[in-house]
Amino acid sequence: MPSGSKVLKLAAVALLAVAVLAFPSIAPNPYILSAGVLVVYYAVLATSWNFVGGFTGYISLGHGALAGLGAYSTGILVAKAGLPPFLALAAAGAFVGLLAVPIGLAALRVRGASFVIVSISLVLILLLVFQSWSSVTGGSRGLVVPRPFQLTRPEHHRIFYFLFAGLLALAVLAWWLIDRSRFGLGLKSIREDEDKAEALGTATYAYKLIVFVVSAVFTALAGGLYALWFGDLDPVFQFSILTGSYLVLMALLGGVRQLFGPVVGALIVGIALEFFKVEYGDTPLHLVATGLLLALVVLFMPDGVLPAIADLIKRFGRSDRTSIREVSAAELREQRLQNAGGTK
Amino acid sequence: MPSGALLFQSVLLGILLGGLYALLASGLTLYFGIMRVVMIAHSAFLILAAYLGWWLHERAGLDPLLAMLGTVPLFFGAGVLLQRVLLTRLRPATLTMMSVLLTFAIALLIEGLLGYAFTGTQRRVQLGYGSASLEVFGARVAVVKLIAFGLAVVALGTLYVLMKRTRFGWALRATIQHRDAARLLGIDTDRVAGYGFGIGLATAAIGGTALSLDTTIYPSLHWHWIGPLMAIIVVGGLGSVPGAAIAAMVLGMAQSLLQIPMGTTWAQTVFYVALFATLAIRPQGFFGGRLAQRF
Repeated sequence: MPSGSKVLKLAAVALLAVAVLAFPSIAPNPYILSAGVLVVYYAVLATSWNFVGGFTGYISLGHGALAGLGAYSTGILVAKAGLPPFLALAAAGAFVGLLAVPIGLAALRVRGASFVIVSISLVLILLLVFQSWSSVTGGSRGLVVPRPFQLTRPEHHRIFYFLFAGLLALAVLAWWLIDRSRFGLGLKSIREDEDKAEALGTATYAYKLIVFVVSAVFTALAGGLYALWFGDLDPVFQFSILTGSYLVLMALLGGVRQLFGPVVGALIVGIALEFFKVEYGDTPLHLVATGLLLALVVLFMPDGVLPAIADLIKRFGRSDRTSIREVSAAELREQRLQNAGGTK
Repeated sequence: MPSGALLFQSVLLGILLGGLYALLASGLTLYFGIMRVVMIAHSAFLILAAYLGWWLHERAGLDPLLAMLGTVPLFFGAGVLLQRVLLTRLRPATLTMMSVLLTFAIALLIEGLLGYAFTGTQRRVQLGYGSASLEVFGARVAVVKLIAFGLAVVALGTLYVLMKRTRFGWALRATIQHRDAARLLGIDTDRVAGYGFGIGLATAAIGGTALSLDTTIYPSLHWHWIGPLMAIIVVGGLGSVPGAAIAAMVLGMAQSLLQIPMGTTWAQTVFYVALFATLAIRPQGFFGGRLAQRF
């Protein structure tokens, strides 16, 4: 018989799925619906980011560039090579996956600091290339991607909402499977202590590389779908360092160790972003707000809101901790320091 | 084939640019050495200093070089505060990653506030000697570029003397090399680390002043600086100040020379190509020591 908490979890997932699927029918107008598409798009991106960020603890600020690459590959294949839209999307996913191999080879050979530097450089170099190489990419004039369906605008939003939701389900499922696997265990050991993981025989380099490629493919698919939905690509927005930071903010805010953490974060941050756009327009204030929120999360809530809520529930509910549970290296260190302080 | 005069001019400009890069990269190297922190906000502070120089010039007619008297101590204090109040709050286990995010957030804050206060309009300091230039063996070099290079050389020289000849410098280097051992020797490593951050940020103040002399500035300019600077510290080997200085000179020169056949935009890619090549061939960098191998 399944335990109470398991039932509760399943019910929560079912509720979430119903809410996601029902949204297009209850959205009052096409604008709200398009905002919903954007939020689900962010949720896919944040979940894809979390393959690297959540499992290995390597923070990538450059996932926006991978999404941009997926978008542009799809767009160019459709607009210039005349491929059918969804074939182009699949090809773009495969292409970015292949491209992620050399990037990962260079970025993951050493530890986190170099990885962050490479991830930021990726955004900056791709912005340069896509702005300057205008014969292929359209340069700063942008690239117009023909729409895959001849539909009215609300219908178009509705279809893409479900496409994004499907991709989200796929990404969440993949994350869940990896989380439960031996492979996932190896990745988490890298996150907690890479030296010890290596000493115990984990093929850390290969593990990191594989999960980076998986993450890149999902990110590129989301970006490609965005290209087909939005229909107009501009290098400044596709290769923006801000996109990458939104993803990090969403995943951290929700909780990187939680399956649905990035989705929850995308809901909060995505809605906040739309709200800001409506209220304040194109002022630099959204930079201030993003920076402030990111700093607050990093300083005071690095584990995210979901664990914070879980802690709150635990405090009021009865304590049912089992002897086998995940403990992070940071928690262990704190315990050790407390014990040392106690025996002094 | 470009003419000899053009080549000579490019080499000269490359050296001048490399000097500025070296100064700024030395600040980044200091932060990394002290706390294994990749300080994304370094170039945002650079632009902030440039804006302060421009603003004081606009409002009070002050020469940016005089404004430096105010900005350098101000930034030193800000650096100490940044380290003592914010970075030490982070958990040690995830410090490297979380500090990146924290400094990234600070960079966004600075960019946003600059955009809010001064709008996104491009600004430039109008100086009496702004358009003056010297002729050196047939090459024309703007006086402001020479001043900027002079500032960088003096600042780097001061930093060298400070690190090698003073008790504080010894303490700082000991803290970088082995924090626990330094503490056993009676060094107040927390305070020294704070001052080290202050010095790092002070280099941004000097660099910003040099930048404001001959560059058009706008709030999002810092992204154009952080990429090359981070490439420089990786190529030089994370944590190595001489390595960073050599890499800065070589890459600055390469950028300047490549501008002749490739144009300014594509010449910038040299930094990223060097970054990827270094990580693929020699991930610890070309001059890095023990420290760089594990990051």
